[in-house]
Amino acid sequence: MKRLRVLVVEDEPSTRAELAGQLAEQAAVGDVVCADGGSEAVRLLGSGSFDAAFLDIAMPGIDGMDVARVLTRLTDAPAIVFVTAYDNHAVEAFGLGAVDYLLKPFRPERLAEAVARIDHHRSGPASTGEKADDLAVVQVELAGRTVFIRRDDIAYAEAHGDYVRLHIGPESRPPAAHRPGPAGRESVLLRQSLTYLEQVWDAAGFVRAHRSYLVNLAAITELRVTSTAGLVALTGAGEVPVSRRHSRLLRERLLQAARSNDRSRP
Amino acid sequence: MIARSPHQQLRRRGSNAATLAALRLTRQIGEALADGLHGKHADDAARRLARLLGADAVALADGDRILAAWGRLDPAATAQILAEALDELDTVTDPPLRAAPLIVSDDLAGGLIVAGDVTDAEVAEAALLVATALDHADLARARERIAAADLRTLRAQISPHFMHNALAAISAHTRTDPERARELLSDFSDYLRYSFAATGDYATVADELQAVQTYLELQRARFDDRLDMTVQIAPEVLPVAIPFLVVQPIVENAIRHGFESRPGVGHIAVRGFSEGPLCVIEVEDDGDGMDPEHAKAVLTGTSGTNGTGGIGLANVDRRLRAVYGPEYGLLLDTAPGAGTKATVRIPRYARGVIAQ
Repeated sequence: MKRLRVLVVEDEPSTRAELAGQLAEQAAVGDVVCADGGSEAVRLLGSGSFDAAFLDIAMPGIDGMDVARVLTRLTDAPAIVFVTAYDNHAVEAFGLGAVDYLLKPFRPERLAEAVARIDHHRSGPASTGEKADDLAVVQVELAGRTVFIRRDDIAYAEAHGDYVRLHIGPESRPPAAHRPGPAGRESVLLRQSLTYLEQVWDAAGFVRAHRSYLVNLAAITELRVTSTAGLVALTGAGEVPVSRRHSRLLRERLLQAARSNDRSRP
Repeated sequence: MIARSPHQQLRRRGSNAATLAALRLTRQIGEALADGLHGKHADDAARRLARLLGADAVALADGDRILAAWGRLDPAATAQILAEALDELDTVTDPPLRAAPLIVSDDLAGGLIVAGDVTDAEVAEAALLVATALDHADLARARERIAAADLRTLRAQISPHFMHNALAAISAHTRTDPERARELLSDFSDYLRYSFAATGDYATVADELQAVQTYLELQRARFDDRLDMTVQIAPEVLPVAIPFLVVQPIVENAIRHGFESRPGVGHIAVRGFSEGPLCVIEVEDDGDGMDPEHAKAVLTGTSGTNGTGGIGLANVDRRLRAVYGPEYGLLLDTAPGAGTKATVRIPRYARGVIAQ
């Protein structure tokens, strides 16, 4: 896919350089063009189209909100991300159709999340060609026999070369009769990529916790942070490491899931 | 058993009913005046006063004008007798009208005007009843203001001690580990943002524990390996609403009194989980602990010499009781040399407790 051409509008030189530098490090980002204020930003719009614009809100003269209003009138408008130190503009920002809203000082992983959102925004909703329910049951070969595993019984999935290792929750392991091989086996290999499973199982509550881990929200019994191991999600089938980059989204999804569980209580 | 004639019983029952009606009206007048003379139920108070006094009409006024009235009153005559009563600060009679001033905690708050077959003494008593109700309403509002001010004081209590130590720790990392310094600055920014947040009185357990984790992260930058921490959260308590900044003062206290003042490795564990209809949050340290009697004094705010940590815990205890009731205060489980475990136990669903 074509790399993103990004406009950075920020009046403070050090913050501008830092933002541009960090954006340039993102794999999805190509050109980064900087403007030191609203009027230069508007002038630069004549130099070619942008895929995304990172806008500071409080600037002298034409401010970030003004620039955003101009941008939204363009045909093929760039995706807008506001970058600000105060969070009291959020409502107005999303009213202008902003894709994301970053708070200064921003963390690298949070910036990566914003770039991912822009990518997602530009390519539209992922079209995997299959419905979410398509992999509700997976079929794996175990010692020459075919075994069926229910998606909802899987606690987490772990990337394993060209395969994914599916770890099955303790109370839902396949009955012994269906489970050839040594007793107590609680994981199976599936020839599939983690990225594919992430897309297909997203609606079923599977969330990326780490570069090589996908976790079933319903299987998480505890989130644990320790000084030595950082953040891990505990499931009945074992611990899943959660990277800094994915921790915010995982927490958000867990919170949503707990809320909807509360609502469905009798 | 005492024998009563049927006649006595009947009279007794009749007077019981009258007493009950009068008591009930008195209470209802108090309730109707809970928002003061300018509240929306003041008309209701006037109507019930008329019933209590058996009057034809009743009006309530502040220093300038009639605020609530029931029954038919001549506006000009009413205004005149009100002005006289407010001038003389005494009951004034001009049949069929009578007026009395309303004195609330030594201040002239307004006047009561009554029309009908009522005595001066009855009007004076009714004015005292209204004044007491108004005083009571003032006190209730003051109590709410104090509770709100408590929360604000606690928010303002981001300890300067902690701020400067955090900045020093960040500064110390800038040369040796710039990446870490950058992360710590983000943590510090998140910490301030949460502490200064002005939206609502309640946060979610998710937000509160995230803030605690950020705080511990900053403390760890100071002590490195000397501070060993664990935060454990069960997903089902993440959405529970909890008074804003309740957990942090407890953790701050654990660092301050359980760890900062002594050498060696210290461990702090924060746990959030559900227990039936309750959400439990525990903060446990393996520090010096304290005498249980002293812990009791800390919670009641009478420990005296113990600095701000104690005030923080007493404040948390008071706020928890104010929101959830007296049985939901902060529990301290401690003994000298045995560390301290602080436990917050709150209902997962409480009426009127909603995050943000």
